[in-house]
Amino acid sequence: MDRIKIDIFSIVGQKNCTLPEDGDKVFRALERGLKEEKQILISFKNVEKLTTAFLNNAIGKLYKDFDEEKIKQSLSVVELSDSGKVRLKRVVNNAKNYFKNPDRMRESIREILGEDDGE
Amino acid sequence: MSNKLINIHNDFHGYNELLKFYNINKDKFFDDIEVILEEWFDANLSALLGGTLDKIQNDGLNSINFIYLSPNIQTILQKNNFLSFYGYNKRDDTYHSTIEYKKFKPSDSRYFHQYLEDDLLNHTRFPNMSDVLHEKISESIHEMFVNAQIHSETDFIYTCGQYFYQRNEINFTIVDTGIGFAKRIQKDLGFEISSSQAITWAMIDGNTTKQGVSGGLGLIILKEFIMNNQGKIQIVSGDAFYELQNKKENIKKLDAYLDGSVISMTFKTNDTKTYNFSDEKEKLNIDDIF
Repeated sequence: MDRIKIDIFSIVGQKNCTLPEDGDKVFRALERGLKEEKQILISFKNVEKLTTAFLNNAIGKLYKDFDEEKIKQSLSVVELSDSGKVRLKRVVNNAKNYFKNPDRMRESIREILGEDDGE
Repeated sequence: MSNKLINIHNDFHGYNELLKFYNINKDKFFDDIEVILEEWFDANLSALLGGTLDKIQNDGLNSINFIYLSPNIQTILQKNNFLSFYGYNKRDDTYHSTIEYKKFKPSDSRYFHQYLEDDLLNHTRFPNMSDVLHEKISESIHEMFVNAQIHSETDFIYTCGQYFYQRNEINFTIVDTGIGFAKRIQKDLGFEISSSQAITWAMIDGNTTKQGVSGGLGLIILKEFIMNNQGKIQIVSGDAFYELQNKKENIKKLDAYLDGSVISMTFKTNDTKTYNFSDEKEKLNIDDIF
């Protein structure tokens, strides 16, 4: 079967999806599905709380190893509220930027250190 | 010698006094630490007082004694359950003005979710608070709690808050006594950085110390919401005090140092903005997520 459904509530085991380690469990399922060329429907049914920390690990991390176009072609989302979609979209945009330039964190600290710290 | 904490409000002066008290006492051994609280003590600061007293107590090597509490302070700190940790009885909070003082292990997620739903968010005294506002407040608090869980290396996370019905405000404060912003950056990214610089850096979109995974959105989402909501954020870590209020950010240096961090959030409950995400939707096009 080329289409699979990944149910977040079922993987995490509860309605509050806040912790990065729970995100990692979802990541492993998505990673496997992508490697095996599946079309993946991610269902957020019964999920009530989502943090960016969870979504970074569950979905953001995919942009490290998979091509943006492949992710776009393969993943779709259902049962996610508009506020959840906004949150996920920010996580996705942030992840794309992060993995394009892994040295950006150090560069941004150098910028801060070069400035007057206001003390 | 007794330690007097007089007129402690949720502001720069209040944090400064609490941290001076902490720094004077944190290296003592086999000592009786006597504490006097007089005039005023903002109840949400129980989270910081509790965290620093645990550090001072040093796993029971020192004893803490409240030798005098002004009656108004004693009442509120019994109502919010803070004084139960120091041998006092809990007092009924008839008008539900306090959000209970709690001490969580970082692994206590489920217990925290339950507390947030039961004690804070389903509170009936704010009947006009919209569901969307409720959700925004809830998500802000969850983002900050998970930050403490994953970044701070703390033994406990301390939380407390207060309702201000007349001002239509909820305050919620999260404290850890872990590594703090500057040492986190030093440890993960290898830069010597002041506490003020560390907070400034952390408040920029997408900046994270995490390795191999993107992050740094929680504080930014909180900041954007608080600016719209006309609320307030205070952050204390190391010797830095950061405040965002009326859309203005301000950082000052404290006279003493906190090992750990404080995130104090004040939300306006009479905010009638719809937060229907239409602006964000237009910017982000949520129908094209990936």
